[in-house]
Amino acid sequence: MSNKGAELIDKLKKAIIEIDEDEVVNLSKEIIKANINPLEAIEKGLAEGMKIVGEKFEKMEIFLTDLMMAGEAMDKALKILLPHIPKTAKLEEKKGKVVIGTVMGDIHELGKNVVATMLKVNGFDVLDLGVDVPAAKFYTEAEKFGANIIAVSALMSSTIGGQKDVIEYLKAQGVREKYIVLVGGGPTTPEWAEQIGADGYGETATDAVKVAATLLEKKKK
Amino acid sequence: MVTFLDVMEKALTGKPVLPRDYELRIYSKNLREKVKEYDIKYDGEELVPADNGLAKDVFNAAFEFFVETGAYCVDTGRVIKFSEEEVKEELRKAPKKVYFGEGNDRKALMPRKPEDKQSPWCFLGAAGGPVSSEAIFLALMEGYASIPETNSITTPALTNVNGMRIRPRSPLEVLGAIRNAVLAREGMRRVGRPGIPIMNTLSTAESAVSLAAALHPKYGLRQSDGFMIGVLDPMKVDFDRLNKACTIMSFGAPIDIDFSPMVGGYAGGPEGSAVSTVAHHFLGSLVFKAVYFSPFPLHIWHVCNTTPDLIWVNSVYTQAVSLNTNFLTIPLVYVAAGPHTDMVLYETAASVISPIVSGGHIEAVGVAKNKHEDYFTPLEPKFAAEIAYSVLGMKRTDANVIVKEILKKYSDKIKNAPLGKKFQECYDIKRVKPAKSYIKIYESVKRELSDIGIEWYK
Repeated sequence: MSNKGAELIDKLKKAIIEIDEDEVVNLSKEIIKANINPLEAIEKGLAEGMKIVGEKFEKMEIFLTDLMMAGEAMDKALKILLPHIPKTAKLEEKKGKVVIGTVMGDIHELGKNVVATMLKVNGFDVLDLGVDVPAAKFYTEAEKFGANIIAVSALMSSTIGGQKDVIEYLKAQGVREKYIVLVGGGPTTPEWAEQIGADGYGETATDAVKVAATLLEKKKK
Repeated sequence: MVTFLDVMEKALTGKPVLPRDYELRIYSKNLREKVKEYDIKYDGEELVPADNGLAKDVFNAAFEFFVETGAYCVDTGRVIKFSEEEVKEELRKAPKKVYFGEGNDRKALMPRKPEDKQSPWCFLGAAGGPVSSEAIFLALMEGYASIPETNSITTPALTNVNGMRIRPRSPLEVLGAIRNAVLAREGMRRVGRPGIPIMNTLSTAESAVSLAAALHPKYGLRQSDGFMIGVLDPMKVDFDRLNKACTIMSFGAPIDIDFSPMVGGYAGGPEGSAVSTVAHHFLGSLVFKAVYFSPFPLHIWHVCNTTPDLIWVNSVYTQAVSLNTNFLTIPLVYVAAGPHTDMVLYETAASVISPIVSGGHIEAVGVAKNKHEDYFTPLEPKFAAEIAYSVLGMKRTDANVIVKEILKKYSDKIKNAPLGKKFQECYDIKRVKPAKSYIKIYESVKRELSDIGIEWYK
């Protein structure tokens, strides 16, 4: 890669770490204009920058808003860079595809948002279904998205029954084994996860990412 | 005066904004700017600050932040804003006294000031913690009602109805909410204190329809109880929550709101959490017509408010509210460890002392992050009340020294806090008495706290 290319990619990484959305967008355009490999810009600029953003969030050097704004900046950059990747080129394979949402009857989303963003930061392809999601929608959207992980959040002791409903629905559709089902949120515990037959549980967003990666790796073997 | 219809009009005609823009580009941005403008800084050495100027700055920042930001209505996608004059009027008309309970247990909840000798309101119980069975629920209620200092009860939440897991907005939730009310009152009757008010009504009723169903007088709820509504983070409301407020108003009972501007979340650091927590009091009063408030800012990773930064947040927002308003604020104590551990008592002590000497009351205790079924007992709220009464009139500077000493005993264990034992594993649930082993832990912790300056009131 040319010096200019390396310099621009480094600047892109820095702009993501500094959560400067305008700069991220401008640099992405400049990278395309200068004919620099967009694949390298994504992998060495955006992805590496986001990894550092995620680590800073875990250490509470930055907060949820910063993490989400960095995620938005990355999405904007990807919209510019992705269409310019030659069809023959191969993007580093995503770790996995995740559909995530909060169960029906529960409209709390903070925890779910943290996990969704941390999964993205760590290289997962994430489809966020939002809140108040019926069991059937987790299934239909996972099928459409080609997900291998379904992550189900619930915040209240009166709403975690919805996590069991998602698992039972998948069983009734005969596709339970196709998906890794993760559960999390306020009242969720490892015991509850085991009781309802979930594959994994994350106490924190960091745990959720680790569990998702480990289970996916295990499943691939 | 802002009426409920005014609130609805604002919700229907306010500025349309996308939810993500409200969260990131309005709420978080405005909050960060106010913290900077007022130069509010968390000080790890002064966890219980004695600086009234800081409290004033936090109050002023919160006032301006709320006026500039407004609340967000999820169902209409609009911002509900209030003028400076509307907020000031709300502050002027905030009640200085609200009566709760009946008979021998009827009492007035009144504002306190920092270092006040006036008794705190002890809102004791499980803070909506999940229980596995009706038998456990009843035994716990008997235990909470037997604590002499109990002014009102924060009930547990049933998770099952006849063995069927409750589902939100379903008939199971309606039945669960009704049963929650009936069993709570029955527990109090059994120990001869039927008049104690329930003030988190109803943990099991997440939806407005379940709350409305359980309000039928036959189920034992009264106008002298208090009714809690949860605000969505950050400063968001929806029609279902507003429906609850409308229902409670028509019932003629006092409304409470609970809210948790998390440290590490949309509120940012401890400074933003403190300012936002004060701002939520304005929101509660104006939008929900709340007359008392249950703040519980938490740590985004540790999900408790016993970390040093949260001890500071609890002290600072309580001082900002108590020194500048008549709002009746009852901080909720939320600890990481479970029953039958010394840590649960250390955490409870630290997180009770901070708001009590800062002019607040207490709601106690959310035990073991309030998430594990049956992992709470009446001993933790009893201990919370005892420590609250023991630090009445204490100087904030002295409290600061004591709290920092207590923190040394547990702060390195917060990440992997011990879960301890379930209620039925460390209590005789027929007699509702703690096991000797738990009493031993309790007495040992009390002795240790005496050594660092707590003079037990009994």
